[in-house]
Amino acid sequence: MERVEELADQILSQFAGLGYEINRDEVIKRLKLLLYEFKVPESEAVRTVRNWIIKEYGIPREKVVEAPLVKIKDITKPGQWVSLKAKVVQIWDSTSPSVSQVGLIGDETGIIKFVIWAKSGKGEVEEGKCYLFKNVVTDSFQGRMQINVGRTSEIVEIDEDIQLPPREIEVIGALVAIQQNSGLIQRCEQCHRVMTKGICPIHGKVKGYDDLRVKGVLDDGENVYEIILNEGNIKDLTGIDLEKAKQIASERLDRNAVLSELKRILLGRYFKVAGVRGGRYLLVRRVEKILGVKADEVDKLLEVLA
Amino acid sequence: MNGFRRREVARRAFAYEINRSTYRFPREDEKSPAYVLTPLGVRVNRVFIVGALLDKEEIKPDSGIWRIRVSDPTSAIYGYVSRFQPDALESLMEIDVPELVAIVGKVRTFEVGARIFVSLRPEYVSPVESGVRDYWVYETAKHTIERIKAMERKEDEDVKLAWQIYNPNLDEYRAIVKQALLTLKGTIAEGEEEEEEIQGFEEEFEFEEEEWDLSDILKE
Ligand SMILES: [Zn+2]
Repeated sequence: MERVEELADQILSQFAGLGYEINRDEVIKRLKLLLYEFKVPESEAVRTVRNWIIKEYGIPREKVVEAPLVKIKDITKPGQWVSLKAKVVQIWDSTSPSVSQVGLIGDETGIIKFVIWAKSGKGEVEEGKCYLFKNVVTDSFQGRMQINVGRTSEIVEIDEDIQLPPREIEVIGALVAIQQNSGLIQRCEQCHRVMTKGICPIHGKVKGYDDLRVKGVLDDGENVYEIILNEGNIKDLTGIDLEKAKQIASERLDRNAVLSELKRILLGRYFKVAGVRGGRYLLVRRVEKILGVKADEVDKLLEVLA
Repeated sequence: MNGFRRREVARRAFAYEINRSTYRFPREDEKSPAYVLTPLGVRVNRVFIVGALLDKEEIKPDSGIWRIRVSDPTSAIYGYVSRFQPDALESLMEIDVPELVAIVGKVRTFEVGARIFVSLRPEYVSPVESGVRDYWVYETAKHTIERIKAMERKEDEDVKLAWQIYNPNLDEYRAIVKQALLTLKGTIAEGEEEEEEIQGFEEEFEFEEEEWDLSDILKE
């Protein structure tokens, strides 16, 4: 679908949500004129068309200041204009220069992936803080819903503590892979992103600080879950904290020695992880190592076979 | 796992079941993952196995290809590790056999004459504690019991195919699971009749393999 049609449908869906049926051809015509003839930026074109609709159809202005406020569980269709209040649950490493930030946000009804496009020029969000995401567009990527923060969106920090879904799952699985960007890593002092060889993907060559993490795959034989263990989790499981990790790195003159050591201790072991599922991630709240199996559990299985 | 394809789950199956998984699904294209069908009707690409690493041997001097033999309470299975699995090779070099290990790897089949052999292509080999083995035996028993139940229901497409291809004796699999579980209670597993040795065939077979072709390496 052409970009203009996409924009038109987003505008239409917003007004449809308010109970107004707008002439699509007219909207497309106006958008084309503004974008292709007058070379107006997308956000200005959208704003202008929306203002025209409001006047033309006599829609009370207070009704349309922003897209309808929704809960995450209600986001089921792509191409909808919505606003939502949510907490930033996790920020991932962005591998694409066109993406400013990507990660997960949640409210009490669910968790959803968000993408802040670099060209949106929107400020950055921080893990654990709550925001009103205004006028964002829903989208579907690889079968899962996400929200896109674009030029016409707004992000406003709010002074509210939004609760995440209480429904926690518990998975017992084997840690079958640990990714390379694990172990003793460096994060950018400005944006906390993980740096590669002293380079932040956004800020380039800047000062970094040390951190300890494991990005891995937990596999229960039926499903795979990507998990991130932070310094606290790693310390509980292995006895290695950031100080110890730095010591290992300096003794062996190799930062990678920490990753090797963590792999040696953790790979192929079973863990019980309690957390909330978000996309392909399982957000770790608690983690413990499984040390063996209880005799009564074995007996239960033997009874099934008897 | 950053690709577009979802990471393959590592299935839990005893070596006894894997060794008999000789049916290979036709690949959609060269890049699609290779699956075998087990006699209990599950499609397998990757497995997670915990057992005793009994042997490791370079199949030809300086070939860089190591044959390993690893055994769980039901049977032993062969695996091949080469420099194309650097993590597995590196840890394998440091292990003295016998040793309890956890292995994540792909299941591969190859034909020698009229016979089809099943082997593992480990992605890593990691020495582990006996508690890990105990939990694996328990978990694998649980999964195998679920598969036996699914075979009885005969609903799933892959299950129907397994009946058609293998027509397995489910009691035989119940006995295997029971034997494995009893080892957790201190019983010694009897195991099956020793399989025909694969040894010596490596130079003849060709791997149908996306990662590496053993026959090429052998010619170097
Ligand atoms: Zn930065």
